[in-house]
Amino acid sequence: MTNVNIERADVVLEGKDAEIDRRINKEYQAGFVSDIESDTLAPGLDEDVVRFISNKKGEPEWLTEWRLKAFRAWQDMKEPTWAHVHYPEIDFQALSYYSAPKSMADGPKSLDEIDPELLRVYDKLGIPLHEQMALAGIAVDAVFDSVSVATTFRETLAEAGVIFMPISEAVHAHPELVKKYLGSVVPQRDNYYAALNSAVFSDGSFVYIPKGVRCPMELSTYFRINEAKTGQFERTLIIADEGSYVSYLEGCTAPMRDENQLHAAVVELVVLDNAEIKYSTVQNWYPGDADGKGGIYNFVTKRAVAHTNAKISWTQVETGSAVTWKYPSCVLKGDNAVGEFYSVALTNNYQQADTGTKMIHLGKNTKSTIISKGISAGKSQNAYRGLVRMNPGAAGARNYTQCDSLLIGNQCAAHTFPYIESKHPSAVVEHEATTSTVSDDQLFLCRQRGIDTEKAVSMIVNGFCKEVFKELPMEFAVEAGKLLEVSLEGSVG
Amino acid sequence: MPELFQHQQSELAASTVKLPWLTAFNQRGADAFRTAALPTRKTEAWKYTPLTALTRLAPQQCGQPVTYTNPLVAFARIDGLHDHRLVFVNGILDKQHSSASALAAVTLFSEANAEQQALIAQHLGHVAQQSESPNLFTDLNDAALSDGVLLHIRDHQPLLQISWLTTSEAKPFTVFARLLVVLERHAQAAIVEHYGSDLSEQNSVTNAVTEIVINDNAQLQHYRLQTMHSSAQHIGSCHVDLQRDARYHGFHAGFGSTLCRNDLVVHHNQGGSHCQLDGIYVPQHDELIDFHTCIEHRAAHCTSNEVFRGIMNDQAKAVFNGRIHIHPHAQKTLAELSNKNLLLTPGAEIFTKPELEIYADDVKCAHGATVAQLDNKAMFYLQSRGISKADAEVMLSFGFINELIEQLPDEAVRNLLRPMLATRFDRDSSLTHDIG
Repeated sequence: MTNVNIERADVVLEGKDAEIDRRINKEYQAGFVSDIESDTLAPGLDEDVVRFISNKKGEPEWLTEWRLKAFRAWQDMKEPTWAHVHYPEIDFQALSYYSAPKSMADGPKSLDEIDPELLRVYDKLGIPLHEQMALAGIAVDAVFDSVSVATTFRETLAEAGVIFMPISEAVHAHPELVKKYLGSVVPQRDNYYAALNSAVFSDGSFVYIPKGVRCPMELSTYFRINEAKTGQFERTLIIADEGSYVSYLEGCTAPMRDENQLHAAVVELVVLDNAEIKYSTVQNWYPGDADGKGGIYNFVTKRAVAHTNAKISWTQVETGSAVTWKYPSCVLKGDNAVGEFYSVALTNNYQQADTGTKMIHLGKNTKSTIISKGISAGKSQNAYRGLVRMNPGAAGARNYTQCDSLLIGNQCAAHTFPYIESKHPSAVVEHEATTSTVSDDQLFLCRQRGIDTEKAVSMIVNGFCKEVFKELPMEFAVEAGKLLEVSLEGSVG
Repeated sequence: MPELFQHQQSELAASTVKLPWLTAFNQRGADAFRTAALPTRKTEAWKYTPLTALTRLAPQQCGQPVTYTNPLVAFARIDGLHDHRLVFVNGILDKQHSSASALAAVTLFSEANAEQQALIAQHLGHVAQQSESPNLFTDLNDAALSDGVLLHIRDHQPLLQISWLTTSEAKPFTVFARLLVVLERHAQAAIVEHYGSDLSEQNSVTNAVTEIVINDNAQLQHYRLQTMHSSAQHIGSCHVDLQRDARYHGFHAGFGSTLCRNDLVVHHNQGGSHCQLDGIYVPQHDELIDFHTCIEHRAAHCTSNEVFRGIMNDQAKAVFNGRIHIHPHAQKTLAELSNKNLLLTPGAEIFTKPELEIYADDVKCAHGATVAQLDNKAMFYLQSRGISKADAEVMLSFGFINELIEQLPDEAVRNLLRPMLATRFDRDSSLTHDIG
């Protein structure tokens, strides 16, 4: 993702081409394929495939039916075309919908039993499980392709009453919770990709925080797409019961691949009265090479429902994927509910991103804040698309939106499409957006003080994103800063 | 509504034509209109503005000149304009109430000489066609066009008023208004484009298309005012073509009606041009008003500034869509947009979408949109000085919009709009009488 090909019509600063050339051959750092046998289903999708997936996981009858209902709805739906992204048509019949690491059959009981090849993959990505367990105090539910292979710290969490397990296990262990909340935030028919996900979802995380419990540690899931031509369809369901709190971290990276891979996840958050969920994402899927070949298609539906006095905070750093289509949303259902959205979206080369949020204010005195920073470099397209809706019951509701775009290079594009709908006279909505470039003045100031152009741009960009980074948990903030730096290398122009 | 549309699409016949170029022109419009899809809620540009209220679209204009009483003319009178005025009633030029000076200043398409015909052929339809997205109702206007007004300004044109008025009729009818304004190099002009009606229940829909070409270093002050009765419907568009160093100041006022839609498109085609686009909308009762604006920056070193303000009262609904589109080579562009809205009552609705679409890096663009209620501090300030809550509300609402009116360079227009605005908020105009 560091490869850049900039043709500059009006060269502002001479001598940077050499700098760019020097960095052109840099390869995607997380690009490697792990050699593990996988149990993969032949490409294609029909009701039998849906049944196969459900059967393979030993799911109860109601869930099989639930999947089939979604599948039938999906067949009648059309792929959405309104997003400001362009990609070749996806042949959904050419994808494989199930893949599980072979070693799973034996059912590892502890880390020692886990396929060493798997562990090495995580090591390469800088996620040493042991270290994290010992030092960071983070429980990791690692999703390798589709099936969870390691869940740690379960006992510590169990003491607090927190349930943190793969959703496929939760279906058996806590059917009443899954049945009650699955699809309650993102219904099967919600949109094209959510319907597809509902039909074929592979696995994902399930979290339940009991009443009044403050989750003793930050929960984290790392997952990566590993098997060639495998779509990955995570389904995450987090329920924060009354008065509870949890911070959930999600980060991902994918190995290098030539063919586009589809990633259609669904994340559902239920935040009951007085509870709070903080959901942070660092997304670094493979973005394709410098010519726009390959890369992940990331079509994600994320939504949260906040009940009375509840709070949701979405923080995301998006640097990867060839195409991103993602709108983490908040339905502020109860009175005094709070929704927050902090986002940094960086696109380079031929990446395309159409991302933003929806804030649906239903309750009285609900509040929402949107801070979105888009950085567009190379030949990429970066769009913010947001909706703020004040429904007739949203008395005294408040929204503040700020979305800024930074353009680096004269062949990229930045767009802003904010929808504002207000139906209550006492609701207040404020929206501000700016678009600008890294100015020559700023660069001059830095270079004059002996900072080279690359460093200067990195500094300016980091400053630009500061408001969002400060919302991230510490470990993530470090990773995000690094990611941004790596992603931007060679794009100075 | 769909039936009506299909009916329209099949019924469209070229008008009773005398001009040689018009047949092809009508034909092109008719073809485009016929093949166009009917806008639905899923059509992005019509998402919030349902066309269900549009039941009067008739294929032809109101055929016969109508007799009307003198008070109608009063609605067309703007004091201080020295009677420099052109009046159309139900789409037909009323020479009796138009002034001689105004009649001399403009040319009807049907009366144009060879040179003027060439000018019309060069520009008519071409300015509107520059838009990337097709406009169904511009196509309809093209298809139904039988005559229009050409305003060709070579040097200086003092404030000229062109009024399209409709009267209360039993049968539904459509007025197709067409205006082409061409400013030559270094020319200067000011025009008031006015859509009004008498005070009774209206049965008309006005489909107006205005095309404006501003050549090098020319400048235009343009007012587009809609003051018709709330039962009158309006679907119009205004297209501006800016050449090198051209300047356009547009002021668009809409007081709302059962259906009022305006598409304003400004094309910066050459460097150094500047556009100031301002507007107000104050719908009340169950009125709807929709402004879709688009600033196309195609050339480098251009600036644009857009300010729209609206107040929604009762059950009224307003839609604002402000798009700024910076094309790949439009470097050093400065573009700003501000849209502020006040909702006065539960039931009133606003849908606003300021859009930025930017394909050049060395630009500065900003937009802001707010939806709010009257400022508590300002209310407190007035109330603490013994002004009742209701009165304070009127004063602040009026002031919110009046701020834009105050900036208008022509006193005659200010004097026209201020009392109209005052009656919207303050039905006996005791509070707003002395303001300004």
